[in-house]
Amino acid sequence: MGFIELNVLNNATSNVALGIDLGTTNSLGAMWKDGRPIVLHPEGDSGYVPSALHFTDKGTVIVGREARELALIDPAHTLFSIKRFMGRGLADVESDVRNVPCPVSETENGVVQFEMRGRRYTPQELSALILMKVHDQACKALGGLEVTKVVITVPAYFDDAQRQATRDAARFAGLDVLRIVNEPTAASLAYGLDQRKQGKVAVYDLGGGTFDVSILSIEDGVFQVLATNGDTHLGGDDFDRTLVDVARKELAAMMRPSALEDRAFLQLLRLAAERCKIELSTDPESYLHVSLPESGVQWRRKVTRQEFDALTAHLIERTLHSCRRAMADAKLEPKDIDEVVLVGGSTRIPAVRARIEKFFGRKPHCELNPDEVVALGAAVQAHVLMGGTREVLLMDVTPLSLGMETMGGAVAKIIQRNSTIPCHATEGFTTYVDNQTGIDFHVVQGERELASDCRSLGRFKLTGIPPMPAGMPRIAVRFHIDANGILTVTAKEEATGKSARIEIKPMNGLTDGEVETMLNLAYKNAREDFDARRAADLRTEIGTMARATERGLGQAGSVLDRETRRDVEEALAAARAAAADMKLEATMLQKRRDELERATLPLAALLMDHVAKSALSGKRLDEV
Amino acid sequence: MAACTNCGAELETPLACGACGKLLEPARELTPFETLGLEPSFELDARELRRRLLRASRLVHPDFHGSSGAGEREAAERASARLNSAHELLADPAARADWLVRTLGGPSESEQRQMPQAFLMEVLEWNETLDAAREAAPGSPERAALAGLATNLREQREDVLAGLARLLVPLPPKGSPTLSRARAQLNALRYLATTLAQIDALALEQASPHEA
Repeated sequence: MGFIELNVLNNATSNVALGIDLGTTNSLGAMWKDGRPIVLHPEGDSGYVPSALHFTDKGTVIVGREARELALIDPAHTLFSIKRFMGRGLADVESDVRNVPCPVSETENGVVQFEMRGRRYTPQELSALILMKVHDQACKALGGLEVTKVVITVPAYFDDAQRQATRDAARFAGLDVLRIVNEPTAASLAYGLDQRKQGKVAVYDLGGGTFDVSILSIEDGVFQVLATNGDTHLGGDDFDRTLVDVARKELAAMMRPSALEDRAFLQLLRLAAERCKIELSTDPESYLHVSLPESGVQWRRKVTRQEFDALTAHLIERTLHSCRRAMADAKLEPKDIDEVVLVGGSTRIPAVRARIEKFFGRKPHCELNPDEVVALGAAVQAHVLMGGTREVLLMDVTPLSLGMETMGGAVAKIIQRNSTIPCHATEGFTTYVDNQTGIDFHVVQGERELASDCRSLGRFKLTGIPPMPAGMPRIAVRFHIDANGILTVTAKEEATGKSARIEIKPMNGLTDGEVETMLNLAYKNAREDFDARRAADLRTEIGTMARATERGLGQAGSVLDRETRRDVEEALAAARAAAADMKLEATMLQKRRDELERATLPLAALLMDHVAKSALSGKRLDEV
Repeated sequence: MAACTNCGAELETPLACGACGKLLEPARELTPFETLGLEPSFELDARELRRRLLRASRLVHPDFHGSSGAGEREAAERASARLNSAHELLADPAARADWLVRTLGGPSESEQRQMPQAFLMEVLEWNETLDAAREAAPGSPERAALAGLATNLREQREDVLAGLARLLVPLPPKGSPTLSRARAQLNALRYLATTLAQIDALALEQASPHEA
């Protein structure tokens, strides 16, 4: 945090919105500033917030890097890859549940719940905690500016339930979601603006837990998605798992079966596998290394890139299958593609790059950091939504067909996949018996022929139909997919013009009532936990700044005019008093800290000593 | 074309005014042609259609109403959905022809199931080729025959579309018997599309056999 950031404080905060990439392994915030999107990070820090959560015995939750480190000491109370559970029921995530160290259950409507330290958390609530951490860090990087409007990215192939879960998570975090935007589309925005690209572009996005491919046409600021495809259960985690499996198989001979299942051991293996994978992106060979001094295990195993490629070839092949389907839907051949853009950390794997290059017959672009480009694109979209520009027109699509279950259990398509959103369709309903006042229907998403093979969005119940002879009522049910890719359903009886009521029993989603309860109860507590943490950080920061200020006054204080010196001393005393008052909340501490920073500006300007200057500008304790 | 109720400027689309930027809520359901400011016609210039879509999108897309109130954001959602759904229908010649035939009082798909005579025999042949390919191993001659069939069907598709154009340009009067003939061509078009989709699905399966 340098002095320049103070300028932001003078801007109207209502004109600012953040872009947040809520990832399976890492999350990141960005913002539009001075004509371009920038990643928001505290000085000396990459800004990535590992999407990890640790549950302490005091009942608080620690999020981010610290949680990731605590996983090694206390894996039983640490959760990873929560995104894999968003909008999913237990049956959908069997293989992931095996990696979860705590009891897992399901609500009545099929929402997964994790039980930690005697409390149950839905993925929505846990994602909210991650969002709060990213948001908090971004606001800190902006010098304490409180921004609540956000654009959040999701995999393009996320279905309705997964998108709704993401939106609910943001609401729990107290954020105002301007838009849910697709990750590859966001990436194309960041790239397209930067490189002034034109033509047909394929975005290949292989992240920590999800894979997307989107085919776009870009011309004159129009970013039109032609087709998208993907797999919301395929990513870097799966590449790591192939190495974990190798290690477990070979270690089986020298370890007790119970030790092989030990959570801490498995976490250690996962990290070793990840390290090995990352090294193999630059080196032709690397080592899987496991050291367990307490059980006398010292194990090292060479892995060549060739072996790793063979282990993971089937995963890459799965991504190519999605590419073929997307190309077919876009009615294009690989030779029609002008540019290929790589997004997501897993596209650093050389075999992935080689296969993509072969598939499209051209070298993929990777000028922008594949870990940052999605957050940057979200910031571009936030800028557009805040009215910052009309030059960019983004036209995205719905990834999956929307349909209704028919009498025989088949699916009647209502909206085709890859339709440009927002879009709508109207279906007519009538009654089968005299004076029937209600009609049930089942809405699904997916491409399969049978409703039971598609994803259920929920069972809808039309009520309040005026009593009439069978076949007389004409009820028009309108299905609207909004710019977020989220469905709303409304109904009207056309003869009487009366709106019919619709009750929805969501599948793998929270009911309105549940959302309200969680908003009212649980999250007040989480916000308090979070505020307490922020207050603690601010107290430390004020301490650091105070010591630096005193040092500065000793060095240059005599040169300051009396008034400025008095301002500094007053601000210093006020900040110290605030830090000492344990009852004070984060907002007040932030205010005192900012006042101290402002008061010390002239002093800092006087100090030519670089070290003193940076310390005054509010570096964290560990960086001074 | 009508004028803007807000500023009086001439409208290119009834959804919003290009001059004052106001979102307009048409009192009744618009036809797809009206939505894009076009006269009903089977013949349509694809470039002009896209130009109109983009111009109207810049007025009504929810992205450009993001910082407005909830009411206006919802109005933009509705207008944009109308626009996109209308465009999707017009951009597809089969859907466009189907709409014109229905609107002019011609028979619907369920009311008239006939196809041009010569077509029926061919449909049987295609199905045989498809069935043989489905049972054959990837890489077999039966599978290879599909590529030839696909080319043949695409050519036929062009012929049927040309035939439709002869029937629908200029638009026949309401209730004209020509509409019934157009429906027969549309039925043929549907068979062609279904068969082509099946061939594409088989080709994809062949490219990624383990996914099947």
